[in-house]
Order: sequence, then C-alpha cells, then structure tokens
Amino acid sequence: MTPGELTEKHWDVIVIGTGIGGGTIGRRLAERGLSVLFVEKGRAGHRAEQNHMASDEITDPVARLVRGSWPETIHARIEGGEHRVHPAIGAAVGGSSVFYAATLERPEPHDLDHSAERPHPTNGWPVSFSAMLPYFDAAQALFEVRGQPDPLATHPTPNLTAGPAMCEGDARLMEGMRRSGLHPYQLHSAMRGLDGCGSCLGRKCPRPCKLDGRSAGVEPALATGRAAIADRCEVTELRGDDIRVTRVVARRDGETLEFTASHVVLAAGALSSPRILLASRSDWAEGCGNARGQVGRYLMFHLNEMFALWPRRKEGYPQAAKSIGFRDLYHAEGHRFGMVQAMGLDAGEGEILSYLRGKIARSPLRRLPGASQMARIPAKVAARVLGQAKVFVGLLEDMPYAENRVSADPNRPGGILIDYRFSPELHQRRKLFRKLIRASLGRQRVLFLTYQPELNFGHPCGSLRMGTDPAKSVVNAECRVHGMRNLWVADASFMPTSMGVNPSLTIAANALRVGDAILKAAGTSDLEQRAMSLVS
Amino acid sequence: MTLAIVTGAGQGLGRAVALELVARGCIVAGLARSESDLAATSKLCATAGAFHPIACDVSDYDALRGAFDAIRRIGPIAILINNAAVYPRRDFLDETPESFMHTMAINLGGMVACSRLALEDMVSRGTGRIVNVTSFADLAPIPASGAYSVSKGAGRIFTRALVADLEGRFPDIVISDWIPGALRTAMGLPDGIHPADAARWGAELALSSDPSLNGTLWERNNEVLEPQSLKRRVFNRLMLRPAPTPRMLCAA
Repeated sequence: MTPGELTEKHWDVIVIGTGIGGGTIGRRLAERGLSVLFVEKGRAGHRAEQNHMASDEITDPVARLVRGSWPETIHARIEGGEHRVHPAIGAAVGGSSVFYAATLERPEPHDLDHSAERPHPTNGWPVSFSAMLPYFDAAQALFEVRGQPDPLATHPTPNLTAGPAMCEGDARLMEGMRRSGLHPYQLHSAMRGLDGCGSCLGRKCPRPCKLDGRSAGVEPALATGRAAIADRCEVTELRGDDIRVTRVVARRDGETLEFTASHVVLAAGALSSPRILLASRSDWAEGCGNARGQVGRYLMFHLNEMFALWPRRKEGYPQAAKSIGFRDLYHAEGHRFGMVQAMGLDAGEGEILSYLRGKIARSPLRRLPGASQMARIPAKVAARVLGQAKVFVGLLEDMPYAENRVSADPNRPGGILIDYRFSPELHQRRKLFRKLIRASLGRQRVLFLTYQPELNFGHPCGSLRMGTDPAKSVVNAECRVHGMRNLWVADASFMPTSMGVNPSLTIAANALRVGDAILKAAGTSDLEQRAMSLVS
Repeated sequence: MTLAIVTGAGQGLGRAVALELVARGCIVAGLARSESDLAATSKLCATAGAFHPIACDVSDYDALRGAFDAIRRIGPIAILINNAAVYPRRDFLDETPESFMHTMAINLGGMVACSRLALEDMVSRGTGRIVNVTSFADLAPIPASGAYSVSKGAGRIFTRALVADLEGRFPDIVISDWIPGALRTAMGLPDGIHPADAARWGAELALSSDPSLNGTLWERNNEVLEPQSLKRRVFNRLMLRPAPTPRMLCAA
C-alpha cells in the first residue's frame, strides 16, 4: 500500500515505533486478528544489510538514517555540562534492537516487588513479578531465548532452551569464576545460531537468525496479512479530545500525513515517546497526557562499569568471550547493583592505552607535553605481557529522579534534550559496586576501563512512568495513559525503575501484557458497538 | 553457475575478459553496441551457450534497463565488469558540450548505470562483485584526451564513492578498480600488453571476492596501495608494525 492508501484505512491499532516493544505488540495484535499499522521514522532498508550502528565518523543525518541509526546528535545536559553526542539508538524498522546483542535477561523479583528485606525505591511496580512471570515466559518462547538457567534464580525458566556449546576458553573462564565462589552461567541470548551464524552483536543480522523487533516482531506481523508499515514517517503530534486520540500526524518527505485508528500504541523509545506527547499541543495545552507535568520525567539509564578480565596465565584464548554472566552482586550488602556480563569484546593495547590516558588526565603528568603519546609504550608492553583480556560490564541500576528528564529541544525541531544529574547515592553505590566486582573475582586480574560514571544511552527508560497515582506517573498499571481510553505505551518508557538487567526481555514481556489489555478493550468496544446496532 | 556481465564485450579487452570468464566456467552476458562484434565474440567461445550476446548502448539507460531485465531471466547477477569505454582523440576546441558529455555518458554514465542496475540483484542477495576498468589518464592528461581523462578519473572517484556508501552495510558486495595498462587493442598501443594476458588478471580479480578487496585499486596484476603519510610511516616503524605489502594476482 502507498502511504496515501495507509492514511485512508481506519486501523484497529497504530503502533508508533518498531523496536522490541512496538514489534512485539504489533505482532501479538496482528496474530490475534486486529489490523495493525506500524509507523516508523527510519527506513525499511535492505534485509541483507549487516552494518553496525553508524559511528561518530558518520555525521551526515541522511547517511546515518540510511544506516538505521539515529540521524541527529542529542543535546545532553549532564551535571550542568553541555554534551552533544550521537546516541546508540536505532532509527530503522526494528529500532535499536536490530543492532543489539540479543541479551534477553529476566529481571529479579526485587526489581519489581517491594519487601521488608529488599525495600523497593517506588514501593514496588503496580504489576508484580508473579503477574509478569507468564509474560516473561511467553517472551522467552517468542524470542527463542537460549542459555543456561541462572543458578541463583528463585523461579524456574521453563521456556529457556539450552544454548550452543561454549568455547573451551569461555568454559575455563567460568571455571575460574566458580573457583572464586561466583555462580556464572551462559547468558540468555535470542539467536537461533543457524549454520554460519555471524553472532551479530552490535550489527544487523542479514539472516533469519537473530531475533529482534524486526525478525520476531514486524516481519511475522506483516506475514499475517493484517499489518502494514509506513516507514520514513516521523510522528509530529497526536490529535484528539479529552479521552481519546483520534489521529496520528506524521511527516514523510516534507509531506504531512494523518493516520487514524481505534487504539494508538506509543513505542518510539524512552527518549521519543515522551517527546511525541509533549509535542501534541494542538488539542492539549500542556501536551497529551501531561496535565500533571509528569511526561519525560524519571528518566534513567544504566551505568556501564566496564572492566578487562585476564584469563589465568596460559589460559588465554583467541575468541572474544560473549556468553558469560553472573548475578552474585545483583543485590548485595543491602544495595541494588545489577548483573555482570561479557561484552563480546577483547581488550588489547587500545583499551589499556585509553585507561592509561585517563589516568594521566587525572594526574600532574597531564601538564607534560606528549605524555599522552608516551602512554603508547607501556600500553604496548602491557598488552604483550598480559595477552588479550576479555571485556565485561557491570550494569548498575539507576534510580528514578523527577529532575532527570527528556524533553523536546527548543532549538531544534525533533531534537532530543536530556537533563541528567548523578545523585550522591548513585556515586556511592557505584564505588561499592566496583569494589565488590574486584573483590568477587579473587585473584584474577581485573582492570576497570572507565573512571567517570558512564551512562548507557542505549538503555533509556522510565520517562512515561507506570503508576497508580496520576500526579506522579503517566500510565496506569496496564500502561494506558491516565485519563485516555485508547492511548497505550509499550516501550521502555513505562518502567518505574531501571532494574539490574538489560531491558529487552522486560520490554517484550510488557508489550505482550499491554497487547492483552488492548485486545480486551477492543473486544469490549466491539460488544458495545454490536449492542448499539441491535438497539438502533 | 556464476553469471557475469561484461560491458564492451564486442572487442578488445572486453571480448578477452568475456572469453576468459567463460573458460573459467562462468556464464557471461556480453554487452556491446554492435551485433556483429558480439557474434564474433560468440564464435570464439569454447563453450556453447555460455556467452549471451546483448546488443545495447551503455549510454542509453532505458535500453540498459531492458537489457538487465533480459539478463536477470538467465539468473542472478553475480559479477559486473564495467569495461565499455570510448577514447575519442579530440582537442578541446573541437569538442562541443554535447560531444564531451557523450563520452562522459558512455565511460562514466555507463559505469554508473550498470552498477546501479546490477546492485538491485546484489543488494537483495547481499553478495556481488564489481570491477571498474579505469585508468590513471586523469593524473596528467595528455593533449586531445580531455573527455577520456575526465571520465576515467571520475570512474575511480565513483568506485570510492560506491564503497563509502555500501562497504559497511554490504561487506560481501566487493568493489574494486582495475587498471589493465596499455593494451594492444584498437584503443591502446601497438606494443601494448596482449589483451588475452590482461584478461587473465581481470578474470582472476573478478572471481576473487574476499571482502578485503573492497575499495582496492589494481594496476595490471598488482595491488596499488594508498600512499602513507610520513608521520604514519614513522609511527609504524616505532611501533614495529610491518609496512603493508601490496598483493599480486597469481596469473602472471
């Protein structure tokens, strides 16, 4: 169908955004018989593409968008300092997920639930872990998640299937962790591992192998014959009245298009769904769903604590470890931290060099001309002596603060503006997390590769917070925008807290849950309509 | 079956490359303006049915679209050798804007159009090989060769621009430049390289599809490396990094 034809049809559901949340909910609804229109800012692209997310070297917005990457820089005010960065965010069919490492990890009960032993910063999500559990199971099945069960898990994972055989080096590294008293396991991965699998971490998978918002969401949805996609369409605002969204307004090649549907799902990502609501001012003075000024607030990211881990002498191996994780420090000494996992990278000379340069920049040596260049020599020596290290990351949970927020950049139409401050408790928790990581690995050699707290811009969440009190949240327990009958949220924006794991599985599971709520609402309104027609 | 397209297959180097590819087991679709030239190439072919003559002017882009549709009916396009070119000896004062741009339309335009059409197949499969036959005529243009020099220099720029757009997204679509050298052909020199000798290099290059060949430039059978800055060379020496060595095609 042409974009013109897509505007003429009245859809059961419009899904804005096609990442892990949008793709999953669109598929669920199309498979259950509803007509679904995906509206996507990025391009459909070519299925054989296998590029990484565009690096900083590619600055042209057109070239970035062709590569499925967010075209513009974001303006981030971090601790009052001004930064303009290209975020690790996708803009393509499949969203960021076409680039992701497909690590689909289930959160812990304490991520969602409040208890006396593990008090929750928001007194618990409005939906409990046990209510989410069937959806976690369903998402694990839908994304064909493979790996080893976490030895420390409190609930079984019936739909997790065995992962591929681990390489000998990874197995030895895990053995070393076990000797240090840790409980490592093979990470939970949404890759089919077809013959000749290129383990497409960080890049588009050209085959039906990696399961992401495109391959496990949009493509199966389109295969039902009930879904369609309007790509290269940037949603500029929603139109409607006090209780309902009636139209979705988008720009395509400079032309304005309007789509209509009975239900609208926001799944443009935690940095974009709030901006769509804030920009919807034609019919809502403060923006749609923003009468209480809550849209865009409580923005969270994970902090990446990256470190290099050297295998024991004579136990080095050429493959990059990418399949090991452990949760021994997930919640420790009364604090929320997060899980530790392999990044699928080797650390060599370059990483040691950047470590040394960081060290020099913080010492009186920084005034010595050429010191930064001189660091190459010890870096080279260290890389020779120590061999290749494996890079791991500790994901540190971030807490929700109303002042940390995303908004529309007043200086650039469609631009993202982020205001973020590190809280004192985050600094403290971070220090402790690093200490515990180092201690937990015993006598294995560890080198932290980051000094300053590093925000993981690929894991934004929380900006359309789910809650029961409309004064402190944007969506209710079923992710329907407070006061609106047909506006829903199915991306990471809903998360009241950022958890200690990668967000993808939770986004997918929640999308399935919101899908069920929409099916129920659509069924009710169908009944209403039928009853009305009988009466008349 | 590997299907290769060779443009300018009615004469000279193009004919020789087409014959060499057939000898190496490819199916070749040969494009040229003259049907009789194509028939002569066909006749020289050792394998019956392996050469498909397609009469077409590469500067007629609509005709080219039709030609590619016909070729796609044979099979998916795996290899494209952009060889067709003209070399009119003409002083610039004897050129009209039309005559100059006509040379560009064949030498550069044909390369652009054939690449664009062949990429339809290559992008959908994620694999492919393009060899652009270019020259160093642009480095120091000789008199009466203006349009040729400009078009051939532009051809090398075109290769780099294509690689910039496609390399990261389609690493298995491999594009390179090949400068066969002065040949003993109607377009070349009486004491040049025998086209059959050059064709062995060209065919080998076209049948090599290692992603590391993407964006490389070959002169005769040698890889031509990008010149390195003095700073880079000193740095490599200090870091005990070996200087890069150019590769060679096996066929001598």
